[in-house]
Amino acid sequence: MFEMRGITKDFDAVKALKGASLSVRPGEIRSLLGANGSGKSTLVKVLAGLVKPDGGEVFIDGKPVRIRTSYDSKQLGIATAFQDLSLIPTMTVIDNIKLNKETVGRFGTIDVKKDRRDVEELLKLFRVRCDLDAYAQTLMPSTQSMLEVAKAVYAKPRLLLLDEVTATLHHDEIEGLFELLRKLRDEGTAIVYVTHRMKEVAKLCDSATIMRNGETVAELARDELNDLDGIVYHMTGKVPDKAKACGAQAAAAEGEALLEVSGLKYSPKVRDLSLTAYKGEILGIGGLDGQGQSEFIRLLLGEFQPEAGAIRYRGKEVRFRRPAEAVENGIGFISGERNREAIFPLRTIAENLFVGRTATGGLFKFIGNRRVNGFAREAVEKYNIKVGELEDPASSLSGGNQQKLIVARWIAVMPELLLLDDPTKGVDIASRREIHQILRQCAQKGMTVVVSSSDNDELMDLADRIYVFYEGRVQALLSCEDKTQERLVAEMMGFAEKEERANG
Amino acid sequence: MAEAIRRRWGHFRRQPVFTGFCLFMAVLALNIIIQTPAKFFTVSNFRILLSKNMPLILTCLGQSVLMMCGVLDLSTGIQLAFVNVIAIMLPQELGVPVGLGWACALTGGVLISLFCGFCIVKLRLPALLTTFSITYIIKGVNVLIMGEPQGKVEKIIYKTYDSVLFGFLPFAALILLAVLLIWQYIKRTRYGRHMYAVGNNPRNAYAVGINPERVQMKAFLIKGFIVGLAGLCLTASNASGNPLQAEEYGIRSLSACMLGGMNFGGWGTLSCGLFGAGFLVIVQNAVYYLFNFLTKAIQGLMINSYWQNLVSDTIIFLGLLATIITAKAQRETLKQGFVKQLKRGEKYGG
Repeated sequence: MFEMRGITKDFDAVKALKGASLSVRPGEIRSLLGANGSGKSTLVKVLAGLVKPDGGEVFIDGKPVRIRTSYDSKQLGIATAFQDLSLIPTMTVIDNIKLNKETVGRFGTIDVKKDRRDVEELLKLFRVRCDLDAYAQTLMPSTQSMLEVAKAVYAKPRLLLLDEVTATLHHDEIEGLFELLRKLRDEGTAIVYVTHRMKEVAKLCDSATIMRNGETVAELARDELNDLDGIVYHMTGKVPDKAKACGAQAAAAEGEALLEVSGLKYSPKVRDLSLTAYKGEILGIGGLDGQGQSEFIRLLLGEFQPEAGAIRYRGKEVRFRRPAEAVENGIGFISGERNREAIFPLRTIAENLFVGRTATGGLFKFIGNRRVNGFAREAVEKYNIKVGELEDPASSLSGGNQQKLIVARWIAVMPELLLLDDPTKGVDIASRREIHQILRQCAQKGMTVVVSSSDNDELMDLADRIYVFYEGRVQALLSCEDKTQERLVAEMMGFAEKEERANG
Repeated sequence: MAEAIRRRWGHFRRQPVFTGFCLFMAVLALNIIIQTPAKFFTVSNFRILLSKNMPLILTCLGQSVLMMCGVLDLSTGIQLAFVNVIAIMLPQELGVPVGLGWACALTGGVLISLFCGFCIVKLRLPALLTTFSITYIIKGVNVLIMGEPQGKVEKIIYKTYDSVLFGFLPFAALILLAVLLIWQYIKRTRYGRHMYAVGNNPRNAYAVGINPERVQMKAFLIKGFIVGLAGLCLTASNASGNPLQAEEYGIRSLSACMLGGMNFGGWGTLSCGLFGAGFLVIVQNAVYYLFNFLTKAIQGLMINSYWQNLVSDTIIFLGLLATIITAKAQRETLKQGFVKQLKRGEKYGG
């Protein structure tokens, strides 16, 4: 019996876990469910010894244990297959699976022959066919995922943690894997299975733990796993309320199409995306993490080049080769990854604001300090950014104000189409509200805003229409009465799969 | 048969050592032509080549052990001088028996290497910058111990070092063989595998229960031993002490490893360091004979050593370019590796 009680973990200001609990018995496959950022992966990492919790206890068979390092975790019989894989790309298949579990033969050297036999046997079990001497980086993603699971299973764990391992697997590979997991369960292994695919939960799991905002909110038994509405309710915490009145703004949006995208493809994340954005609307893009949203935004921006498909912008077909070209054509881009993609932390606030404008001017155009500062002062007053001095470095601002700075940078140049990729990630609630307010004003003035967000509340609040992405395709378009939190979550999980289950 | 050979060749082509091997073979052929085969394939030529360059070759091997684990040490070169200074000064000033003095020098090399390791691994300081500044610290210590070049080594020692065993085996080659043998053993232990894992992705290595810090510290220990040996070879070959010599070996060993096809992080073997070092040595040798030939062929041509360096370093630069172009797939890892050396290390399990 493995038990976690009252686990808490803060990453700086973000509370990832707030008293989460989880328990799993030997011979049980328990699925761990929750929306993006609900703390599933963090909880798994606590058990794996990669994250040290700030509080809470872990019990094994009723005895309290401490997991300080990944080594401790191994010693306690816990093995993990990670979502982002823990293979070493430059090592061979054998070495990867045997890493830290090598057979030591005579003279303290590794018994290479026995290792090879072991791995051969193991991979036969997993029905993986690959060159055992191939480097892991040369293998297909699905094979790598299988190896990740095989590696964890090879440790003969008492508790097996699987964090979204089926994301890249093919249908028949999943079938084979499930068969194997069931066998392990029958042999008495406790398994925790993290997934977003509801179909897999109903098929494989014996019970479920649902998390929301870092807390454990529900424990479901076997017969409750088919109730998708119930699960969605627990994940969102909202009682289904049907059919909000269709807003006037949504109706107004059906005007002139500014952006039309059809059949966009960019392997492997973007498979076939088509959508239309109208002038003066706020278009939301929703979906689980990594369903192609951020790639899509960057395809529009010209940072990536699509393999297939067409982008029509202002009624003309365009293909931007660089983001600079897109910006010259009236496109703005606000990234949620402000440290990586937006802020120049050591430059002054004024310069940070002005930089959006410089992108459209000539390279050697003279820019006076007075002009920069005048421009910045105006923007600061207009968008209500709390700053000490315009001459201070941007890093002196709080995260929320930095993000407002980025928003102001782009709004000030009045682009025709504004792209936002998770703009309020890690931004406090007050700043978030102000950013939303600014975006709404811009839309009213005729700017088209395309916002991708991992935060469902934000999408519900902000967007007139929401495209839901699922595995690189548009899963659904929600507008008017369809636009409910429950529909959104259900579509994010792949609504089509629900129907399939009802039929079959 | 032909099929088997082709497969092996294909396999070899994908090995990290491939570019280093090709470069080495190319300059070797060049050298043999310039020096003429009759003069090149002589025992005394091999003896001089090996005994003169053994310190550099060993330093390259030490550096490649570090690079396998994703770290590096620029101060390796001046550490040789440190070992040299101790080996000379202990017997000369304190009357310590030569054997004990040299053992102390070797230990000193290990300790100073561990100190670098401590700074990089435990304090997680950026490797490139830290070891660059440590170079100057060691330099200062060297000069404190030994104010100016001085001292001598007993005749028996440098005679032995320069000797040829059984009529064909230079003594210096014996040292190299011993180090390579020890490495062949280490490579086959669990530790050998863990080095690659830590070098390529310390976080994932940590996730399977390996302690990355311990693996990297052990690498510094091994490197310390090899560099200690290199320092003793330097002492035996020069038969005197100099507190400021061999500093450039640090950066030279780094470029040798990269010439040999190494990358920061889990890519490349010790033979990469070996071939890289061989490339450097042979290039210098070949250029020396080339200019010798030119001065004889052209009347009144005056050569200074900077010209030789210009030519040999240009060849080395071209070699570096070749490794980067051939190792297309590794370019990204190489870049990331460089960035890693300039940043503070990450902490795992926090």
